[in-house]
Amino acid sequence: MAQIQERGSTHVYKVNKISKEEMDSMVARCVYEQPPFCNAACPLKLDTRAFLKAAADGDFKKALGLYEKIAPFPLVLAAGCEAPCEGKCRLGEIGDAVAIRAVEAAVARYGEAARGGSVFRMKKRKTVAILGSGLFPLLLAGELEKKAYPLTVFCEQADLDSFLRCAAGFLDEDAFALERKRLRGKDIQFEFSCSIDRAFLDEKRASFDVLCISETVRSRLFPDSPVIPELMLCEKEQFICGGEEGVMNTAFGAKKAALTVDRLAQKLDPRNTRGQEGACESELYTDLSEAKELRRAAIPDGGYTPAQAAEEAKRCIQCRCEECMKSCAYLQHYKKYPGLLSREIYNNTQIIMGDHQLNKPMNACSLCGQCSVVCPRGFDMAQVCHIARRNMVSTDKMPLAPHEFALMDMLFSNNEAFLARPQPGYETCRYVFFPGCQASAIAPDTVRAAYEDLCARLDGGVALLLGCCGAICDWAGRYELEDQTREFIDRELARLGDPIVIAGCPTCKKELSTHDGLEIKGIWDVLLELGLPEGARGLARPAALHDSCGARGDEETQKAIRTLAAQLGCTLIDTPYSGDRSPCCGYGGLAAYANREVAAEMTEKCLERSDAPYISYCMACRDRFARQGRESRHLLELCYGTDAGAPPDISEKRRNRLTLKNELLHELWHEETAEMKLDFELNYTVDARRMMDDRMILTDDVIAVLQDFRASGEAVLDAEDGLLVARRRVGNATFWVKFSREGEDSFTVHRAWSHRMRVEKREG
Amino acid sequence: MAGEKNYYTVDPMGKLRCFKCGVPLEKGKAKFMYLDNGFPVELPVCPVCGFVYVPEELALGKVASVERALEDK
Ligand code: SF4
Ligand code: SF4
Ligand code: SF4
Ligand SMILES: [Zn+2]
Repeated sequence: MAQIQERGSTHVYKVNKISKEEMDSMVARCVYEQPPFCNAACPLKLDTRAFLKAAADGDFKKALGLYEKIAPFPLVLAAGCEAPCEGKCRLGEIGDAVAIRAVEAAVARYGEAARGGSVFRMKKRKTVAILGSGLFPLLLAGELEKKAYPLTVFCEQADLDSFLRCAAGFLDEDAFALERKRLRGKDIQFEFSCSIDRAFLDEKRASFDVLCISETVRSRLFPDSPVIPELMLCEKEQFICGGEEGVMNTAFGAKKAALTVDRLAQKLDPRNTRGQEGACESELYTDLSEAKELRRAAIPDGGYTPAQAAEEAKRCIQCRCEECMKSCAYLQHYKKYPGLLSREIYNNTQIIMGDHQLNKPMNACSLCGQCSVVCPRGFDMAQVCHIARRNMVSTDKMPLAPHEFALMDMLFSNNEAFLARPQPGYETCRYVFFPGCQASAIAPDTVRAAYEDLCARLDGGVALLLGCCGAICDWAGRYELEDQTREFIDRELARLGDPIVIAGCPTCKKELSTHDGLEIKGIWDVLLELGLPEGARGLARPAALHDSCGARGDEETQKAIRTLAAQLGCTLIDTPYSGDRSPCCGYGGLAAYANREVAAEMTEKCLERSDAPYISYCMACRDRFARQGRESRHLLELCYGTDAGAPPDISEKRRNRLTLKNELLHELWHEETAEMKLDFELNYTVDARRMMDDRMILTDDVIAVLQDFRASGEAVLDAEDGLLVARRRVGNATFWVKFSREGEDSFTVHRAWSHRMRVEKREG
Repeated sequence: MAGEKNYYTVDPMGKLRCFKCGVPLEKGKAKFMYLDNGFPVELPVCPVCGFVYVPEELALGKVASVERALEDK
């Protein structure tokens, strides 16, 4: 049998299949990281979503902490903000926007301020003077105190109360008292009763590193020196300045000004590296169907009580795009949204030396493409993972172990178990039946019945081709093997007279449709044309139809299957995520080989949609659902009155393919095949069989070990259980078999294990 | 190779015999090799024919995890 070469660990870096730019543009499609709409509209960039979540949870301390990040004087901002966030709240499209400002006001009033911190903070070295009074000086002082500048405010007022009243006279008495307390607690020096003239200003300019003044002071002393609004800076005089333009804009001005202070203090150009400032647009997607309460509670005169505010905050649907994660078990498993996961996977392919930690996630995606349909932006994780696998193969960094069993299975299908024959009596044929490797492995009787039916009812001859379409190596990213398989199949089809392919499996149909000049139909199409065969009958109970991921985007196939099911008399239950949105059973993309755990979660995800029996039209789906204990039937089984029964193990799957080929060769083409007969008797304990299936050990591997033992007599006797253990290297693995001998020629296998490392004796 | 580190040691403790040679296996020097890497170990070895035994727990435990780590290098 053919053999796949294990890679070495020291290799030359070869070719990259995708550039960083291509990956960047792919990653940019995912909007997960975009801000929620309310947050995007806020020039001060309140993390509204987190803020409302904390408020909804009743955690006002946390909520206030978030609010204080944008508002050094929370009650001041909450009293006067124009709340553009509410104008952009998505709930406003179908009901009332969340009353964000009223929640802010309640949080500002009732939230417990975070204490301490400022005492032990390291002060900055550069000093700042603020000259004047009003809202801008107050808010700027708050911003700069947060940044730990040694800071002095020089104002005309005689005391702190008058200064605060001048800045925020609109506060009610309670709020005023709270903000006065807050202001007193801040590390800000005040000099009162100053008369601010040019000499005073020049003196402060000389003794402080950065000078800030109110607009009133500027218009009095420097009426002809303009201020750049983006920087809040008078470049000519090198002072920072801002005026009163409503509470929100003044707060935004203070924020910009504080950033300019940073730049000036560091002697940097204040224009550079400012990041995105102010309100922006968001392209985030939100599923509005999550919204429960559409109406906001009226806001009483004194504002919301804490309980009311929490209730209102609960209305926020926490805008977030999670469409793909809702439906994909793989993304749920790794808990990463595709934009981020893709970037990590791409970086993984670029590692030359060191650990490829993303190998497992990269190989666990079923390449099913469901995400590309459910994602509002059409993000296709399958494409990312597929390219990444090919990338890893091209640079020889792809480990063989996760896919070796599947690849060997494919080679088995296309060698020992391969068959391509024209219908008896024909040289070439009009049709060829291509049931797919999984159908022959899982339901050989159904394949045989279907082939006999097609031969009997179609004119022009129906050839038979038992083999693998190449999806396996495609999924594994082994593109060279894929090309070889394509050429091989094309050659065989040419020999049969380039017939019309009748595919038994939607994935084969999809894979073969990438071949040039092939005409290809599904057997479901043919059965609709011919009518159902004799004895075809649906399930008595209502059943859920599981669409194959191979049929995604293939509307005709999905329709044909439903018509066929209706003709069979099946009652189909509607399930979420059907048709193009169908999830993968876990076989796709070789997920089941590379990551059993994730694949099992995929199967679960499919089955959680309904308690009913499942009807599918891909044998792999049928098999995985049956393994999970669900009543599961392939549509063709219903058409042909066959029942493949309990799912076969990995060795039975191989034997089924071989037996089907040999029996058909014998019955239809009267060719005899020399069946390999064992010259000893071999039995397995139930445990051993289960263990072998679990550990991907074939009966062929076990036979090879025992044959070796019979020839060499090499084994170890374990005194603890009195059993013998023999071993043999087969391909890239060493297999160990623990067995008992019932006689010279009779063995019972008790345990089996394997490892890929070679082991040998070391001298010395 | 005096003083060379052994990555793993399995002592047969007199419970294993070489079936062919009829002698007990002994703790002996062996080597695992995978993807151009080698690891010196001590495993049950037949002093006569040199059969090296890899017990099931070792194969499924330590050996498997080292294999995974090397595959992802
Ligand atoms: S559905 Fe998923 S991939 Fe698409 S934008 Fe949303 S988070 Fe990103
Ligand atoms: S629902 Fe919540 S997160 Fe979404 S826009 Fe409205 S306030 Fe913002
Ligand atoms: S398993 Fe399917 S739905 Fe999930 S990321 Fe992969 S291709 Fe997308
Ligand atoms: Zn020996």
